[in-house]
Amino acid sequence: MEEPAAFERLVYKNASNFHYMKICLVLENGSRNIEAAQFKQLIVSGLRQLYGEVGAAFPFDLLKFDPGTLTGILRVYNSGLVKLWSALTLIGSYQNELCAVRVTQVSPFLLALSGNSRELELDQASPTGEKLLLT
Amino acid sequence: MVCKMAMFMDLNVNFTKDKKTLQNIIETAAHLGYSTVAINYTLESQQKKPEIPKPTSISDLFTKLPVVQGRSRPIRVLSRLTVVATDPSHFRPNAEYKAFDLVAVFPKTEKLFHAACMTFEVDIICVTVTEKQPFHFKRAPVNGAIDRGVFFEIVYTPAIRDSTMRRYTIGNSLGLMETCKGKGVILSSGAEKPLELRGPYDIANLGLVFGLSEGDAKAAVSTNCRSVVLNGETRTTAFGIIRTMKKPPPAPTASEEDKSEERENSAAKRAKMEH
Repeated sequence: MEEPAAFERLVYKNASNFHYMKICLVLENGSRNIEAAQFKQLIVSGLRQLYGEVGAAFPFDLLKFDPGTLTGILRVYNSGLVKLWSALTLIGSYQNELCAVRVTQVSPFLLALSGNSRELELDQASPTGEKLLLT
Repeated sequence: MVCKMAMFMDLNVNFTKDKKTLQNIIETAAHLGYSTVAINYTLESQQKKPEIPKPTSISDLFTKLPVVQGRSRPIRVLSRLTVVATDPSHFRPNAEYKAFDLVAVFPKTEKLFHAACMTFEVDIICVTVTEKQPFHFKRAPVNGAIDRGVFFEIVYTPAIRDSTMRRYTIGNSLGLMETCKGKGVILSSGAEKPLELRGPYDIANLGLVFGLSEGDAKAAVSTNCRSVVLNGETRTTAFGIIRTMKKPPPAPTASEEDKSEERENSAAKRAKMEH
C-alpha cells in the first residue's frame, strides 16, 4: 500500500540575484546630448558623494541607455539596491545644472520593465473600461 | 470594505510669489503620484512686527486641478503655516492661524522644543536640517509629542542641494531616530522648484538612509501624513466633535439661519470652556 503523502512545504524564494531599475534623467533646461558613459559617470559620482569610495566601487551596470529621452535601465545586486536608489534620489545637479533622476520602475524581472501599467490608457468610449489600449 | 491604497502626501511645498513656479511644482507632485500637497508659508518671528501671511486660494492658482497619476482624481492642495520660534512669545495661536489647514512650529531652542512637544497646539514640529542640531533630543518631550499625535518633520530638499547640508540632515535625523525609534516622523520636500521634488517611493527608500525601518519609512510619506492632516482638521473643532462654520453667503431666510448658527456657536464655546 502506498504511504499517505507527507506534508511538504514549498517556499518560493526570489531566484533573481538582481534588481532592474528603469530611470530617466530630467534636466532643467530640457534635454541635451549625454552619452551612456557620461550618464554612468553621473551615477557613480552620486554614489561617491553619498557613500564614499567604497560606495563608488560597488558593481552595477547600465544595460541600456537612450540618449534621446535620457532613459536607461540599470542592473544592480539586491544588496546594493537601497544604496544605489538613495544615491540616485540625492543627485541634484549635472554640470552645474539642476537635474532630477526619476525612477520609473523597479523590478527583479527585466521583462517587467517592457511595459508600464501607468501608461496604459483606458478606452474612454466603453463605459466599463474593459478594453485596454496600449500606447 | 474597500481596501485603500496608501495615499502619498507631501506636506511642505514652499510658497513663492511666482505663480508659474508654484503651479509647476503642484503639477509635478501630481505627476509623481502625490495625492495631497500643502503649500507652506513661513512666519519669521525675528522681525519687529511679524505679519501673518494669508493663504492664497487654490482657485487663484488653478481653474482645474491636475490629476494625480494612477488615481484619476484631482490633487488636494492644503495650506500650512510654519512659525519659526526663538522665543516663547513667538507662538501665539489666534484666529489667523485657523485660516490654515496645518500649523507647524520650528523651535530653535531646547526649552521651546520641550514646550512645542508638550503644550503647543500644532500638528508638526520641524527638525533642523541646515545646521547641526543645537540640542539633544530628550526622550520625555519626544514621547510626549508622539502621544499627543504631533509629528516630527524632516525636510529632504537641502540634502539634494548641498553635500554639507546632506551631512546635517542625515546626522540630525539619525539623532532623532535614536530617541523616537522611527515613530512619529514624516518626510517632506520643502521644494522651491519642481526639480527638487522626488517620487514617493524614492523618499520611502531615502527614509532607510535616515535611519527609519522599511515600514516606518513608507508610513512617513503616507499614513503618518494622513494623521497629520486629520489632526489639523480636528484643531478647528471642539474636541473633534463639534465644528462650527460660516454658512455660504447666499442665505435666503436670513433671520432664522442666523439664530441657529448662533446656537451652534455657543454650544461649541461652552464645550471648549468646560474643558
